[in-house]
Amino acid sequence: MRLIDRILGRRDDTEIAHRLHHLEHHHAVDILTIPSGDVARRRLRATTLGGEEVAVALPRDQTLFDGAVLVLDEAHALVVRVGEQHWLRLVARDKADALELGYHAGNLHWRVRFDGEALLVALDGPVDDYLVRLGALATEGRVSHSIVDPVQAH
Amino acid sequence: MNQIRTIEAVPSSKGTATAARIGIGGPVGSGKTALIERLIPVLAGRGVDLAVVTNDLVTKEDAERLRRSGLIDPERVSAVEAGACPHTVIREDPTLNIAAGDVLESRFPGLELLILESGGDNLASTFSLDLVDWWMFVIDVAGGDDIPRKRGPGVLRCDLLVVNKTDLAPHVGVDLDSMLFEARSVRGDKPVLATNARSGQGVEAVVDAICRAVLFAP
Ligand SMILES: Nc1nc2c(ncn2[C@@H]2O[C@H](COP(=O)(O)OP(=O)(O)O)[C@@H](O)[C@H]2O)c(=O)[nH]1
Ligand SMILES: [Mg+2]
Repeated sequence: MRLIDRILGRRDDTEIAHRLHHLEHHHAVDILTIPSGDVARRRLRATTLGGEEVAVALPRDQTLFDGAVLVLDEAHALVVRVGEQHWLRLVARDKADALELGYHAGNLHWRVRFDGEALLVALDGPVDDYLVRLGALATEGRVSHSIVDPVQAH
Repeated sequence: MNQIRTIEAVPSSKGTATAARIGIGGPVGSGKTALIERLIPVLAGRGVDLAVVTNDLVTKEDAERLRRSGLIDPERVSAVEAGACPHTVIREDPTLNIAAGDVLESRFPGLELLILESGGDNLASTFSLDLVDWWMFVIDVAGGDDIPRKRGPGVLRCDLLVVNKTDLAPHVGVDLDSMLFEARSVRGDKPVLATNARSGQGVEAVVDAICRAVLFAP
C-alpha cells in the first residue's frame, strides 16, 4: 500500500502541469476520486482508478482538493478528483411554507445555498434522508424538490 | 515525495506528521466511556500509542473516571467542557477540541491515535471532519430497537455504528438480530457492530475497524 503524507502541489502549477502532460502521454497519470463529502478527511484509505490501494495521512493543516497532486515521479503520477457535489433543490409553495422550510434547514444544520426562490441543500447522503426530516412539508407537497445537475449548479 | 512503503501491522503510521483522530458520539448513557475503557487495553496491547479527549457538559466527570481507571496515564486524558450544546463543539465550532488534541500531540510526540468522546447528544449529532478523520456512533439496545428506524444523522452518517449493551436485549424485550438487521438496512454498505462493553464482547472487532480505517492495518 502506498502511504501519502503530503500534497505535492496543484495540477495546474506550471512546472507540475508540464510533467503531468508528459506522463499523460504514457498513460501514467492515475486518479484518486474522493466523494465531495469526504474531502475534509485528513486520513483515509482508498483505491485509485488504476486499482492501487493508497493510505492518505495528511498534516492537520492540509486538506485534499480537486487537482491536488499526491504522487509525481519519472514514471507515475496520482491526482485527486473530487466527486461532484449534488444539490437538492427545494421550492416552497408559499411564504408560510418557506418560513417553515428555512427554520428546518437551519435547525438541521444543512449546508445551503440560495437560488432565487429555491433553497439548495448540499447532499451528503440519499435524498430521502433529507426529505424525511422535512416531515409534513414534504409529504403534503408543500415543498417540492428536484436534484440539481452538478454542472448547472456552478 | 510520497513513497511506497510496505505497511505490515499497526502501528504503521510512523513518520507521518500527526496522530489519527477518531470521534465517538452517541446519546448520553449509551456506553461511550465504557467502550473507551474497553478499547484502551486492546489498542495498547496492539502497540498503539494513544490519548483521549472527553467532552462533558459542565463537569470533567468522564475524564476523571478515565484518569482513575488505571488503564491509561492520567496525563493522556484531557477534558473539554462542552457547555449546554455538546454537538456544537464537535461540529460547528470544534476549536476547543482541536486545541485539546494539539496540546496532547505536542506533549506526547509518539502519539498515534487520539480518541475524542462527545458529550453525548441526540441522534442528530455528527462530527466535523475538520476535527476527526473517522467517527463512530454508539447507541444501545436499551435505548429502544426503533432507534435505527428513526434514521438520525448520527446513525446514518457515522463511519461505524456500534450497538452496545447487547447483554440487556432479553431484559428490555429487544430482538437484537432484528435491531441489527434494521441498522444495517438504513446504513447501506456502511458497517454496524454489536458490543457488550460490560464483558468486552465485540470490542476486538471495533479495534480492528479503527486500526484498518485510520492506522492502515491490513
Ligand atoms: N449492561 C451493560 N451496561 C453498560 C454497557 N455499557 C455501558 N453500560 C453502563 O451504562 C451506563 C452508561 O455508560 P457510560 O459509558 O457512562 O455512557 P456514556 O454517557 O455514553 O459515556 C453505565 O452505568 C455503564 O456501566 C453494556 O454493554 N452493558
Ligand atoms: Mg461518557
